[in-house]
Amino acid sequence: MKKIAKEKLALLWELLAHKATLYFPLQEDGAVNFAPWKNGAQVDFGVNSIVPPKNVFFPQAETYLRFKTGAKRLQLESVEPEEKFILFGVRPCDLASFNILDKIFLEEPTDGLYAKRRRLGTLVSMGCNEPGETCFCTSFALEPAFAPGADVMVWDMGEFLLWEPRSTKGEALTAVINELLDEAAPEETAAAVRLRDTTAAGEAAAARQRGWNTEGLQEALRGKFNDELWEKLYHRCLGCGICTYLCPTCHCFDIQDFSRDLEGERFSCWDSCMFAEFTLMTSGENPRPTQKERVRQRFLHKLLYFPSKFGLYACVGCGRCVRKCPVHLDITQVIKEAGGVVSGS
Amino acid sequence: MKQLSEILKEVAFGSLSSGEAEMVIGWQKGPFWWQSFPAFITDPGGTGSLIWDPFSVSNLSKYLLKEVPEKKIALFLKGCDALGFNQMLRDGRVDREKVLLFGIPCDGLVDPARVEAAGLSKGLLQVKKEQEELIFYYKKGQRKAPARDFYYAKCLSCRYPNPVIYDQMLGEAVPCQPVERFADVSKLETTPLEERFSYWSRHFSRCIRCFACRNVCPACSCRECIFDLAEPRWLGKANELSETQFYHITRAYHVAGRCVDCGECARICPVGIPLAELNRKFIKDINELYGEYDAGADLDKEAPLLTFKTDDPDVSSGS
Ligand code: SF4
Ligand code: SF4
Ligand code: SF4
Ligand code: SF4
Ligand code: SF4
Repeated sequence: MKKIAKEKLALLWELLAHKATLYFPLQEDGAVNFAPWKNGAQVDFGVNSIVPPKNVFFPQAETYLRFKTGAKRLQLESVEPEEKFILFGVRPCDLASFNILDKIFLEEPTDGLYAKRRRLGTLVSMGCNEPGETCFCTSFALEPAFAPGADVMVWDMGEFLLWEPRSTKGEALTAVINELLDEAAPEETAAAVRLRDTTAAGEAAAARQRGWNTEGLQEALRGKFNDELWEKLYHRCLGCGICTYLCPTCHCFDIQDFSRDLEGERFSCWDSCMFAEFTLMTSGENPRPTQKERVRQRFLHKLLYFPSKFGLYACVGCGRCVRKCPVHLDITQVIKEAGGVVSGS
Repeated sequence: MKQLSEILKEVAFGSLSSGEAEMVIGWQKGPFWWQSFPAFITDPGGTGSLIWDPFSVSNLSKYLLKEVPEKKIALFLKGCDALGFNQMLRDGRVDREKVLLFGIPCDGLVDPARVEAAGLSKGLLQVKKEQEELIFYYKKGQRKAPARDFYYAKCLSCRYPNPVIYDQMLGEAVPCQPVERFADVSKLETTPLEERFSYWSRHFSRCIRCFACRNVCPACSCRECIFDLAEPRWLGKANELSETQFYHITRAYHVAGRCVDCGECARICPVGIPLAELNRKFIKDINELYGEYDAGADLDKEAPLLTFKTDDPDVSSGS
């Protein structure tokens, strides 16, 4: 394992930014979000970003086709990402969310743009030293201080960052910055292992205290489509886009054209099952006519439909929706009420 | 003297069991100290779960647009909520006869972000307010701090902490000590145009277009909103700065003269866009152009943007 002293980080950012676009959690007006690093930008690893880093692979709006008419034939030009990038400081929960997005975008029919970005990107994950109040990744069998899918894993050890390449891409990135790295002493490496263990144990205890787990949850939900639970829950929902747009696993999108005169572009853009128009048909018919059906859809998609189809829950426990829903429609409480088995002790 | 939270349960119980109301909208508590949320109760037996605490910030009156209009609904209004209610009344969107209003004098509510920023949130179990102080409860021990240090920005500049409309008031009027609300606007007005433009561009480029600011707004009460229309599509669905600017400019213009400055839009914006500054710019301009007007409070004054007068300052004097 390698390490890098904190005073060398500014050099590291510059070196990396020179190689590829470097996405970082940056602070602006008090809000932390992933954005391309520029000299003078305020890097903030203290809290997880408000908007999840999914937008790097799956942008909120993305043009993939330009068109022009007027000449004899319709001219089409496809647009593709070419830029290599490094996504630095992704938390383990968000890294796990990419597995979920992969199920949607990498299985047939593959989303070529997403696939290409997955190839172009190198993922540097930062372990969490201290999970936040609303984090519940452990309830979805994830580890706060370790991300299996990362190309490089880093840990903040106070004076320095520990740096562990974990894939060929990660090795390649490490080679580029080798001059800034030192070999970590055995006791320093051991400290990272301890950090992993203590956060995992601490969070496992917290998970027990939460009083629910996902065992048997799908079974319990299967019979609840017409349950009065949804009736009880939906009244307070404002039907905004916060919980789905801020969710790292939500992946619904729309296809739209933007055109003027004889030319234009076709783009995909995020959409949300919490919006009334999401299921509105051209005929005027809406199969999810009230917020009740929409709230039910959000929870059942994450906790029943997605896992039934792909074998994993479409929630990684990042807690963004818990923290940011203006009316505290809390997924953990929904799981609890819907019959997430209450674990012992 | 009885605690307000107890009185609130009692009147909720009373109005449901007497049949005066078929539904009560109040607040309930979630497992986290900061989770107080709107609750919809139809069974008198359920009123015991209602609470009033330093986090009961959601405006309950906006729900009147969604809940079954035939029902008679009882709800609780703080000062800011009462202004919003009045505006909905003036816009013809609620039926005064169908609601029973319990007013709550409110001298300010607590912004969880300020508790966090002060480093007090770790292991925090509960926050209570006693007179001018907040008491923070932890597993071991408690801490105290002046309540006002933790209030929402909107509460620090609140001018109507005592509801201006109600059927029954549930407590003693509280004193009003607002900070100057136009300070930020005045500062912005004096910055050079390019700087102002980049200020708003920076903020708007963070907008995720969740529409929470619109959905929570008591002045946004249209049955069909132009931002949702697919045909014609006024607002493009791409999150592009120009589209987002169009959204924000249109929203601000459409609530101009009707925005009650309750501050809810700015409070719930997940990415911290200072929408109140935009709204207050309009309020300040209206005040300066047509004379002081407080939407939601000045019910007997003519609404300046809905009234034409030949001596309006913007009536052209030529031909
Ligand atoms: S659950 Fe909360 S965040 Fe989601 S749409 Fe409803 S109000 Fe918005
Ligand atoms: S559902 Fe909520 S907690 Fe789960 S991944 Fe999405 S935002 Fe995070
Ligand atoms: S259906 Fe709703 S919950 Fe499921 S991915 Fe789409 S937006 Fe998210
Ligand atoms: S704005 Fe005024 S009435 Fe509203 S919550 Fe704050 S202090 Fe209370
Ligand atoms: S609440 Fe904030 S992020 Fe959402 S649409 Fe309004 S300004 Fe944009």
